[in-house]
Amino acid sequence: MVAFDKCETRPAHIDAILNGLDRYNPETTTVFQDYVVQQCEDRTFDCYANLALLKLYQFNPHLLQAETVTNVLAKALTVFPSPAFSLCLALLPAHTQPFPTTSEAQAASQTSDFVESVQKLARLSTLLESAQYAQFWSTLNSDDLYADLTADVAGFEELVRIRIAVEVGKAYRSISADSLEQWLDLRGREALDKFVSDVCGWKVDGAVVRVPTNKENEARSEVKSEHVGVEMFGRVIRRGFEQPA
Amino acid sequence: MSYDDRANARPNLNDESDVEEEALVNDYREQVNFEDGMSELDRTTSLGGGSQTQDLQAQLAAAATPLEYQATLETKFASYDNYCSLFHYILNSEGPVDLEVPSYNWAWEVIDEFIYQFESFCRYRTRVARSGSNEEEAQLLRENPNTWGCYSVLNVLYSLIQRSQINEQLAAIKRGEDPMAFAGEYGSRPLYKMLGYFSIIGLLRVHCLLGDFSLALKTLDDIEMNKKAMFARVMAAHFTTYYYVGFSYMMMRRYADAIRMFSHILVYVSRTKNFQKGGNSYDAIAKKNDQMYALIAICVALHPTRLDDTIHSAVREKYGDQFYRMQRGGPEALPVFEELFRSACPKFISPTPPDFENPAFNVDPVDHHTAIFMDEVKNTLFNPTIRSYLKLYTTMDLKKLAGFLEVQPEQLRSWLLVNKQRSRQIRWVEGGLLDGEPVIANDLDYALENDLIHVSETKAGRRLVDWYLRNLARVY
Repeated sequence: MVAFDKCETRPAHIDAILNGLDRYNPETTTVFQDYVVQQCEDRTFDCYANLALLKLYQFNPHLLQAETVTNVLAKALTVFPSPAFSLCLALLPAHTQPFPTTSEAQAASQTSDFVESVQKLARLSTLLESAQYAQFWSTLNSDDLYADLTADVAGFEELVRIRIAVEVGKAYRSISADSLEQWLDLRGREALDKFVSDVCGWKVDGAVVRVPTNKENEARSEVKSEHVGVEMFGRVIRRGFEQPA
Repeated sequence: MSYDDRANARPNLNDESDVEEEALVNDYREQVNFEDGMSELDRTTSLGGGSQTQDLQAQLAAAATPLEYQATLETKFASYDNYCSLFHYILNSEGPVDLEVPSYNWAWEVIDEFIYQFESFCRYRTRVARSGSNEEEAQLLRENPNTWGCYSVLNVLYSLIQRSQINEQLAAIKRGEDPMAFAGEYGSRPLYKMLGYFSIIGLLRVHCLLGDFSLALKTLDDIEMNKKAMFARVMAAHFTTYYYVGFSYMMMRRYADAIRMFSHILVYVSRTKNFQKGGNSYDAIAKKNDQMYALIAICVALHPTRLDDTIHSAVREKYGDQFYRMQRGGPEALPVFEELFRSACPKFISPTPPDFENPAFNVDPVDHHTAIFMDEVKNTLFNPTIRSYLKLYTTMDLKKLAGFLEVQPEQLRSWLLVNKQRSRQIRWVEGGLLDGEPVIANDLDYALENDLIHVSETKAGRRLVDWYLRNLARVY
């Protein structure tokens, strides 16, 4: 497991900035912005570096590029389920109100395109994090704005589809092809067949897709016994020496 | 020479000099109220030899003293200038400043108060902008956008850390080498070393207040979280560290690690409670204590775990009803989660000056972070329901269960996926605080074969060691 502050695809110069005080230097904003563009293009994701960029925006609001922020958020959607998206939201200005509950907050989205975009992406995040995949796709396809917001992220739909498949694979040993079609937004049995066999390596068996056994979908019962080590009795033994009976 | 030796070798100030100090403090604060920042800076740097040390003592004492609750904006500005000149003097004099710091407590209080004033200033500024009622103050704040600016606060903390080379020293200790070899001219002096050290804790706190939880944890890379750590010498520092580390873990959805942090410090406090009573920081600690019990209740509701017995009974005592409702989940639990979160979260701040022209634009950062957290709570609200039902079966038909729960099968499928996902967590094993391994964090697991749910349970064997030790301690 790679630690949160590391990323295998991170170039050395980004790593150097992140580990030094230059991460606060407004001049590095453009470096991070270029890095976001690169991540969008080559389908990688570096949450820790993107958070550093959002922090620069937090400290220097005049530098904020709405499009870069929405690209960072759209990228964070492609790694669900994970805290990445909410960690990004936490660094955005509070007036974006990603989860509007009051009519006032909803009104704010009409006055600012940026606020509207953040709220729309947050809605997508909620649908993915709560595993309402069919609704995620119908929402995504319901408004052209969504297409604009995710346009810069190369293979956005593909990346989300793969994440959904991975999560399904962890919970299911077999699943009806109809359900899976909806969850992956693959219209037609052929598209589904192709995706599950080529990308996932699963088998289609009539109207059922079979997922090979993996560590997660095994669900085996076991009894965990307590680990007993000598060191747990250290105090007792020491007391025994210190206070001879 | 280890840290312990030097700490013990240095004589502590006795009560008498405390009184003197107090007089100096008051005297100094009167002065500071009538002087602006620049002449302040001139004065400190132009002072010569003997009186300098005394004056610095006074400044340090002032820096560690809380402002009055009703302090005016002018006092807050003056206090900022005082900090600036003090830190400027400590950091930018020719060579290290020659000064003995009386105790760890003092160094901690300087940093603690510095950040507290930053935090309360930011909150005050947002409040003035939002209410829009006090035009005079708004104007003053508008004209001084850089007072208590986030860049200057971070600059102070990072400079103290760098000057003292404290990270290098801590890394050396971790490797088992002599930290003095890495301390340098400044870092070998207790004043710098202690200020540097507590600045790391200060950074943890500032990052957390600004909502940068991963960077908050990253800041502690060189500090080992155990009772031997230097922060453990000052109760308030010990406490603060665990609170912010635990909270940051919680916001990164690493509930197991958050629970571990909160439990550690709460057990420690419950053991030293009587010893702490009467101390002047007792009230603050008592409040944080309750906040951490609230946070631990939230974490356990989101991530069922067996708590230490002492902690468990204390949670039930303090938050019994709320704890029960959160553990049961469902829509009724939502307001409880929100109420407890708001009462126990740090006072988040916005680092930049608010928009004085549009009062409604200035959303309270606490509302912002609460909304983000509550989204995750809403997404996982039915996990307890799912778990309580599945516990009863080894196999179950999904449609039948959906019937019991009176929901659509598709809804139940989502809940099952969510519960499965949330039962996987990253948990710290070794290394930096951000490191960790994915673990299955739940006794209950399941897999679906079409619409048939196969349930499996990992049963914990009886835990006897703890019981045995406790009873042994009682009778022996």
